[in-house]
Amino acid sequence: MPILEGRGVSVAFGGLSALRGVDVAIEEREVVGLLGPNGSGKSTLFNVLGGLLRPTSGEVWFRGQRITGGPPWVAGRLGIGRTFQIPRPFAGLSVLDSVLVGVTFRTRHRYRRAADRRAEAERLLGLVGLADKAGARAAALSLGEMKRLELAVALSSRPALLLLDELASGLSPKGREEVVLFYARLRERGMTIFAVEHSFGLLAQVADRMLVLDQGQIVVDGPPPAVLASPRVAAAYLGEEER
Amino acid sequence: MALGFSMILGVSRSLNLAHGDLVVLGGYVGYSLWAAAGLSPVLLLPVAALALAPAALVWDWLLKRTPEPKELSSLVLTFGLSLLLQTVMRAIWRGEYRLIAESSLGASLQLGTLALNRGRVLAAVAALAVVGLLWLALTRTRWGQAVRATSIDPQAAALVGINVDGARRSTFLLALGLSGATGVLFATLHYVHPAAGVELTLMAIVLSIWAGVGHLRSVLAAGLLLGMIEALTVTGWGPGWREPVVALMLLGSLLARSGGLARGHAH
Repeated sequence: MPILEGRGVSVAFGGLSALRGVDVAIEEREVVGLLGPNGSGKSTLFNVLGGLLRPTSGEVWFRGQRITGGPPWVAGRLGIGRTFQIPRPFAGLSVLDSVLVGVTFRTRHRYRRAADRRAEAERLLGLVGLADKAGARAAALSLGEMKRLELAVALSSRPALLLLDELASGLSPKGREEVVLFYARLRERGMTIFAVEHSFGLLAQVADRMLVLDQGQIVVDGPPPAVLASPRVAAAYLGEEER
Repeated sequence: MALGFSMILGVSRSLNLAHGDLVVLGGYVGYSLWAAAGLSPVLLLPVAALALAPAALVWDWLLKRTPEPKELSSLVLTFGLSLLLQTVMRAIWRGEYRLIAESSLGASLQLGTLALNRGRVLAAVAALAVVGLLWLALTRTRWGQAVRATSIDPQAAALVGINVDGARRSTFLLALGLSGATGVLFATLHYVHPAAGVELTLMAIVLSIWAGVGHLRSVLAAGLLLGMIEALTVTGWGPGWREPVVALMLLGSLLARSGGLARGHAH
């Protein structure tokens, strides 16, 4: 049974169809990449799968539980972690406090003692390479650091599935290399990942399978080499992006 | 009072123009209980706070349903609620001026060579206690973490499993509870009348601009500064100048701080 399943997901904003009957299934421990040109509906699909947006029609199931229609915090409590394309740190909080929020409200592997929660938050900051920034204000971080912080916050609730929205975009080549390492590290830990990236090359390095979204529909689904060879992909996406 | 206004703004991005009217409502509730049952003002504080709980739930329900931009639509809604509250209070208490004239509060408290009014001392001690407790609750408790995270970004807070609706609702209950209790203190010092809330709302807006949303200690400092300016205005030019001076300070603050009310969410 897939860990996450979207069935016939459609979203319309007024008269504009952002998603049109999208079916998507992510298996446990799978790393799946999502590609698509700007405006193809990638972030909208993530918002629906992460429980932040109610679809116009269709359903989302996570580990056999229907999450569409429920309050937005249900997905987080069940085990879906999420980062945003444009990082949204808890601006008024310190880096450590931002991660502590997630550690405090996690529903699995909870810590009773404040000292244990703090140690866990520090461990997560170490994992993303922000241990030395624990006392800094979240809003004062650089773009790359904010993305790492967001990843630490997403991991803080001990998710079973991560929805990562363009973790590498806007980063330097060195930053992108680090992102590839993050993906590898998360995969080693058995994390299930559904990731949007603009770079086909980066996703091809980390993903078992790729989906291509175009005009609100999944047009290709397969392993990276098959996706690369698809004429529909070339027409819809790769013609304007790096190969 | 300004703390409640600021917390509602933080958690819901709503400007509650009826905030002062809710304080006056708390004052009237306190007055009625004092006049009917002779309850001590100290006991009236929690009673008036609880009395405003239904209003908090209604405010939360209504403001949650206002369309974007929230700051603007909440202004329109709460302006209507302000007028409605004034009409209801006028209908119930017939627009008469009421004062909780508790003799024990009118007496003076001698501190060395200083003679202080007991009612004002009670108000100052209550304000300090509320700021202290609220600071502890916001920085040291799970509830405080939920409220702070929800104030900063409700979606990001929901993603880590925070019940953002619950955090928001509890903030409204606390904020309007504070308004109710403030109303009792206000009614021990000033005559309450249905239109008295306008000036209080104005003050809450000025203090929120000066202090920034949710900056507890800054709200306290700004409150003291505003109090001194008001006292000097009344002493120098008379009570008629108090409201225009507060309005001018609001205008000046808005011009001086382009970030305005939305600036900052720290505690």
